[in-house]
Amino acid sequence: MGALKSERDTVVAKNLGGRTLRARFKAMSGYLFIAPAILYLTFVVGYSIIYTIRLSFFEFSYGTRIPSFVGFKHYVKLLSDQDIWSSARVTLVFTVAAVVLHLLVGGLFALLLNERWFSVQLRNGIRGLLILPWLFSFAAAALVWGLLFHPFGVLNYFARVLGITDGAVEFLGRAQLALPSLIVVNIWKTFPFYMVMILGGLQSIPTELYEAAKVDGASPLQRFWRITLPLVRPVLVAITSLDIITTFGHYDLVKTLTEGGPFGTTRTLAYYIWLTGFQDGNFGYGAAASVVLLACLSGATLLYLRLFAQKEELYGETTTGI
Amino acid sequence: MKLRQVFSSKVGRQVLLILVTGIGAAVVLFPIIWMVFASIRPVQETLASPPKWIPHEITTRFYRELLIEGKSRRYLLNGYIVSIGTTAVSLGLGSLAGYGFSRYRIKGGAMMLTALIGLRMLPGVVIIIPFFKLVQMFHLFNTYTGLILAMAARTLPMTIWLLKGYTDSIPRALEEAAMTEGATRIGAFYRVVLPLVAPGLLATGVMAFIGAWNALLLPIVLTSGEKVAPLTVGIALFFGQFGREWGQIMALNTLGVLPLMFVFIFLQRYVVKGMTSGAVK
Repeated sequence: MGALKSERDTVVAKNLGGRTLRARFKAMSGYLFIAPAILYLTFVVGYSIIYTIRLSFFEFSYGTRIPSFVGFKHYVKLLSDQDIWSSARVTLVFTVAAVVLHLLVGGLFALLLNERWFSVQLRNGIRGLLILPWLFSFAAAALVWGLLFHPFGVLNYFARVLGITDGAVEFLGRAQLALPSLIVVNIWKTFPFYMVMILGGLQSIPTELYEAAKVDGASPLQRFWRITLPLVRPVLVAITSLDIITTFGHYDLVKTLTEGGPFGTTRTLAYYIWLTGFQDGNFGYGAAASVVLLACLSGATLLYLRLFAQKEELYGETTTGI
Repeated sequence: MKLRQVFSSKVGRQVLLILVTGIGAAVVLFPIIWMVFASIRPVQETLASPPKWIPHEITTRFYRELLIEGKSRRYLLNGYIVSIGTTAVSLGLGSLAGYGFSRYRIKGGAMMLTALIGLRMLPGVVIIIPFFKLVQMFHLFNTYTGLILAMAARTLPMTIWLLKGYTDSIPRALEEAAMTEGATRIGAFYRVVLPLVAPGLLATGVMAFIGAWNALLLPIVLTSGEKVAPLTVGIALFFGQFGREWGQIMALNTLGVLPLMFVFIFLQRYVVKGMTSGAVK
């Protein structure tokens, strides 16, 4: 069959002079497979990015019918906008604290689950239960924790029993406590992802390495620093860089739990952009803030990858990893 | 026995391991248990001080109000329609694209794949204004189609990556054999590749479904009222409006998480697979 086909192909090729129709179609068909998705994404996202950048140079809000060109006005205004600077600070604190704690809590559970358990079923069962918070949306997690944070809620009870306070504490209403409370909820919802990913990384480390190190007299701590950490590092770099970006653009918990309050102490940049765009109807200004956020994020990601990723992780194979 | 000895003995280690993990798990699971409890008992009991750790009086009132009297039923239905729609669109386009990237030499393919990672990381808030505009332009504001198409644009990059990976793991020889038997490319794709990639489709589909089911920002911006708004929007609004009706809120919340829990319990292997293969690169 194959031989026959190629024979026919050469005949066709002779007729066409060079490349066969078949071969041409073959080369094209790959593009046909990817075309629907890629064209759709290019259109939607390309439009979005160009539109946002363009809009950031225009004055355009709910009332105006025709956007008027204002040049860099919005960008200049951004520089002296106190609110956006405080939002940037909130976002930075939120991101750094959340990502570091995701890593710690998720990593700790992963290490525990990676130990040798007397019953694998028990281990897998606990792993399954620990993943459950990840299934919650941030909105749903916000509700669950809203009840715990309630002035008559369980957390207040513990705070009283442990003698930390004697009255009811408004966890979400106090300037010093609101942001930490949001971070706690964020960790609760996100750590399972880290746990699963790190556990996957840990389990792919060959046990012979540890045995060899043991024979050579390496202490548990040494084994952790010299074997475990270097070998799970690619996973850590991948998930933290993904996480930094998602957390930096966080909106959901702020919207559902505090609406940016009290006194803007939980107003993240993403929430601020949403506020200016959709609450105040100031689309042009919101777009300018979006562009700045995007630029900051791209910069931060590049810097992070430069600092923590090794060359081969950056420019190495892009097709593996699944 | 000294602490050190306990730590190094086999049994001691196991006990310690279970103790530490157990305490951690209890802390993590407590909010979920508390949510379910709050949905089946009167509010006075939920907010009793000192807390009542076990429900005394059980009531199904809140579930009845939601399901039978129909409060918020619409949000649940919308959630299903939008999430299933989004999953279908992203799997449909994603499996084709994944196959294309996996099997063909495509000019600029590596660049496109890298760009997809960038897209996946694009914060939602940056694109909501143009998405809002786009959806209005095509007269799709507050429609299922508009919301599904917008959400699919968010889930597609990951879907393509995952499905490319799964397709990579299927030997080419099988389709080539089918094609020498006379099947067309598309035929081989449908009859040979898709069935083999089914576990991958399942894992990817679950990820897309969870993503769509949990999305908040896009639905808030692209819908109004309860015509097509999914559950997350319902929850967010509900919380703002009736901040005190904990029983109802928690019943709604439990109903919202339940489908994912079911999916998770039955497909845990695939969910974990989707999680681990989704994040790397």
